[in-house]
Amino acid sequence: MKSRLTLGSVVIVCLLILGSVMFVLPFYTSTVTAFKSPAEIATSSTWSLPTHPTFSNFGEVLANPNLSFVRLFFNTCLIAFLSALGVLLSSSAVAYAFARIKFPGRDRLFIVLLATMMLPGIVTMIPTYLLFKVFGWINTPLPLIVPAFFGGGAFNIFLLRQFFLGIPRDLDEAAILDGASHWIIFTKVIAPLSKAALATVGVLSVIYNWRDFMAPLVYLNSPDRQTLEIGLSTYNNLKTQQWHLLMAGSVMVMIPLIILFFFGQRFFVKGITMTGIK
Amino acid sequence: MKSILKLSATAALLALAAFSNAVITLRMVVWDGDEALSVLRKAITGFEKAHPGVEVQLEQADYSVYFQKLLAQYAGNTAPDVAMLDPGNFQRYAKRGALLPLNQFFSTPGFNIADYYKPIVDAHSMNDTLYVLPRDIAPMGLIYYNKRLFKEAGLDLPDGSWTWDFKPRPELGSKDWLTCLSKLTKFDANGKVTQWAFSAWDNPPFADTMAYSYGARYVKGDPAAFTELNLTDPKIVRAYDFVSELINKRHWVPSKSELDSAVQSQAVDLFIAQKLAMFQCGIWQVPHIREAMKPGSPGFFDWDIVMFPGYQDAQTGKVNIAFPTGGSGYGILKSTPHPKEAWELTRWMAGAPAMKIMAEAGLAQPAIQSLATSDAWLPGPNTSIDQAYPHNRLATHLAVPYVVFSPTADYWAEVNSIVGAKLDNVFRGTVDAKTALSQGNREGQKRLDDILRQENLKPFPWPVGVGIICLLLAAIIYWIFKPDLGKRLSRRQKADAKAGLGFAAPWIIGTLVFTAGPMLLSLLMSFTDWDFITPAKTRGLENYTEALSGKDDRFWHSLQITFIYTLVSVPLGLVIAMSLALLLNAKIRGVPVYRTLFYLPSLASIVASSLIFKRIFQPDGGLLNLILYGPSGQWRLPFLANLVGPHGKLPDWMGDEHLTLPALTMMSFWGVGASMVILLAGLKAIPDFYYEAATIDGAGPMSKFKVITLPMVSPAIFFTLVTGLIGSFQVFTQVFVMTAGTGAPNNSTRVYMLHLYDAAFNNLRMGYAAALAWILFAIIFVVSMVQYRLNKVVYYEGAEK
Repeated sequence: MKSRLTLGSVVIVCLLILGSVMFVLPFYTSTVTAFKSPAEIATSSTWSLPTHPTFSNFGEVLANPNLSFVRLFFNTCLIAFLSALGVLLSSSAVAYAFARIKFPGRDRLFIVLLATMMLPGIVTMIPTYLLFKVFGWINTPLPLIVPAFFGGGAFNIFLLRQFFLGIPRDLDEAAILDGASHWIIFTKVIAPLSKAALATVGVLSVIYNWRDFMAPLVYLNSPDRQTLEIGLSTYNNLKTQQWHLLMAGSVMVMIPLIILFFFGQRFFVKGITMTGIK
Repeated sequence: MKSILKLSATAALLALAAFSNAVITLRMVVWDGDEALSVLRKAITGFEKAHPGVEVQLEQADYSVYFQKLLAQYAGNTAPDVAMLDPGNFQRYAKRGALLPLNQFFSTPGFNIADYYKPIVDAHSMNDTLYVLPRDIAPMGLIYYNKRLFKEAGLDLPDGSWTWDFKPRPELGSKDWLTCLSKLTKFDANGKVTQWAFSAWDNPPFADTMAYSYGARYVKGDPAAFTELNLTDPKIVRAYDFVSELINKRHWVPSKSELDSAVQSQAVDLFIAQKLAMFQCGIWQVPHIREAMKPGSPGFFDWDIVMFPGYQDAQTGKVNIAFPTGGSGYGILKSTPHPKEAWELTRWMAGAPAMKIMAEAGLAQPAIQSLATSDAWLPGPNTSIDQAYPHNRLATHLAVPYVVFSPTADYWAEVNSIVGAKLDNVFRGTVDAKTALSQGNREGQKRLDDILRQENLKPFPWPVGVGIICLLLAAIIYWIFKPDLGKRLSRRQKADAKAGLGFAAPWIIGTLVFTAGPMLLSLLMSFTDWDFITPAKTRGLENYTEALSGKDDRFWHSLQITFIYTLVSVPLGLVIAMSLALLLNAKIRGVPVYRTLFYLPSLASIVASSLIFKRIFQPDGGLLNLILYGPSGQWRLPFLANLVGPHGKLPDWMGDEHLTLPALTMMSFWGVGASMVILLAGLKAIPDFYYEAATIDGAGPMSKFKVITLPMVSPAIFFTLVTGLIGSFQVFTQVFVMTAGTGAPNNSTRVYMLHLYDAAFNNLRMGYAAALAWILFAIIFVVSMVQYRLNKVVYYEGAEK
């Protein structure tokens, strides 16, 4: 029995390593390229390690007078974390309603919720732009933050609803009998039991907003209000790509996300072990 | 009360004071990249100093999304004052009255339009009116050449007097371009090319040059207002066949996939790596070469530029020189409140003050002739060593008389994208030029005739439209609450209803405020003809019939490939994500690290991953072919290798139109990270004691999986399936970046959203794009509702009893 187990885990580890190698390729290439000089990029293979690793690309990106990396970093943090906060607060509440409360129109509203994901964003872009124009929000981060507090997106609501539906009813039934309100059940029972799902939604939405290109592109004009992703695109233009800066920049843009993901997954642990059902 | 009055009076006074010495802020937008931005900013600082009271905000958007942003801004009445434009796109704006005619400013003291090169002025004019003040011109008839390789091959260095004909003329020696090509190509013992003689940065511009040089033009008559395509001209056919011969038979010119083997897929890096003796391009690659190859550094070689050879007619001996060209300038948007200041800025930025700095930095050849022949642009005795290359910069000036602009008519881009798709396979050598060109001509002409057939449309009746929207919204709301109407609720149910609507309120409000309006407005748009600039006109159902009736050939095609892509990538992606999630749920060491590694591709930039995928799908030396066929190309991975089939050649995943869809599907697997994380969260939510109980009951791993894992994780699977399907029907960004928005080769990657995007932002047919979007919506809705029925199979632990 014991030997079979170890054989199994050896197979698993092998598969994991093989898979990781494949999945790490894009990041690997960006990183090695970030450490190469333009001359080496031009003449060496995409896969090769830098022969004379240099940090100067990173220095150049950080010191670029055209885009203040620190400023863009701050803008991006503000947008990504505030909108993730909005998503967490509002999508969990809405998901709770869809998953745990019987209210008029619920099932058909849910179909409407799904339907809002089905229309390509490209065609609603201009009308949405006009709307934010009316609000006076153009060239401010508001279009990228405020909507997150109003539902937090169908994707996240749907995701959390699925998880909330997986939580046994016994607990909240008991709480209701004790006279607890839905607010108490939501904050004291469902939310604590869904830490893994909430962490997933939080981390995924920070990442999504961090990397988003289209929305900041359209809504932000002033160079000092842009996000990192937009700033990076100046290294990759119509005629020439400055691979050394582009890659150094994208590695720096990615690192906070990797850290966030790595530590965020601490919360992806069991949220339900406590159910222990009496 | 008093204090409020006082306060508002002060505020009014302050506002007045601010108004009297108001600073005017001009917004200017460019698509230049980082290297030009510092120069532009420097020029702007100079402008602000010279024009007190005017401030300039410089904005930037990459060319690939530039017009999308500009159109959104124009529609929203927040357009910048001055915008960078070029001959290929200004007409769309000028024709619709979005640009200020510049002739009215010609009398400004000190300004003389005759200072500018005439070809670029003409290219920026429509009906003898100038709309864009040219900034630079970029003849693409320059050949960068490696002097060392020329000497090695025993060739004289080119002086520009060389010519070409369809057959090598060895008797002319170095004066015959084809002889140079043959001597500059090197093969190894296996017949594999180790050094190519020549390439343009891509195959199509090379073919353009050959066709122009042979004396052909793509359209008949006025390039600014043509009505007939000329692609079946025997001269064009011959030139294209010849290009294919140079690539596929003689191997003097690398193919598209061979070009992509360099990091910078624009041939310049092959040139720097000395694998390419000559490459054709505009002057814009100079800063890159200077930076990658500093004089004296290892890997440096002597190089220069020379003009592209002319075609020499064997009978008459006459030489014809012609090549495509680029160029750009600044236009003033009609919406600007400060036309005079905007003109001053335009004049400054396109004129000597800014272009002198631009020229000194080696970034662009000024459109002002005297500047392009001055020390600022041409190297002189005082030029520093790192600015010295290329020496023969005068060639850029000498090239100007021979430039040929692409047709400037605003519909050329749309027609050309139809034609261009047919030509991909000519360069691959899998179809002859005559077949492809006549097919392209037929389909392009068909679309052109449609565009030129002026539809007499009435303005869109907005009040009626808005009325319909309101009715529709009311109908939807009625439909939502219909099942619950007239039901008597108990007290508990009433409390629940209140609480439920309260909890859902943020979303309901958000949807009504932010989502419903734009969605319904886009529905209205789908019945109009709208170009973002002029008011929408009524088109009724015609947008829908145009797509569904097959009038738009590419509609069904793009729908079909998107269906196939979805059908394969969604289930396979789910299986992969699930397997990964199960593996990562195992209790082994280092799981957090693996999880992060598997999620990495979802964090990587799209540009970086596109680069990697090009390497992976490379026919020669690509990772995938290495696995399937081994390093020598002899080995066959059982089963999988036969699946692709031995075509004699190694499969070219991104070049062969039959393989691009499988390649795209494989690419999508790198993005399973998000689904994996979600499924993993689902697995983590299964209480341990379920398994413990099952173990006590003597269940094996398989039955535990079937009885516990699968049902418990089914809500997450259902979620992944539904959202995966929606996402895959709307697949866009990766394809857009990989194929530069073309859907190449031969439209085989023209997924539905690419077609839609093209319609909206390249062809300015927002009404048609909206109709396409609602057709897709209907399809996704139907498919999702079928899936939704599956919801019954999904096991919800906490479902209502």
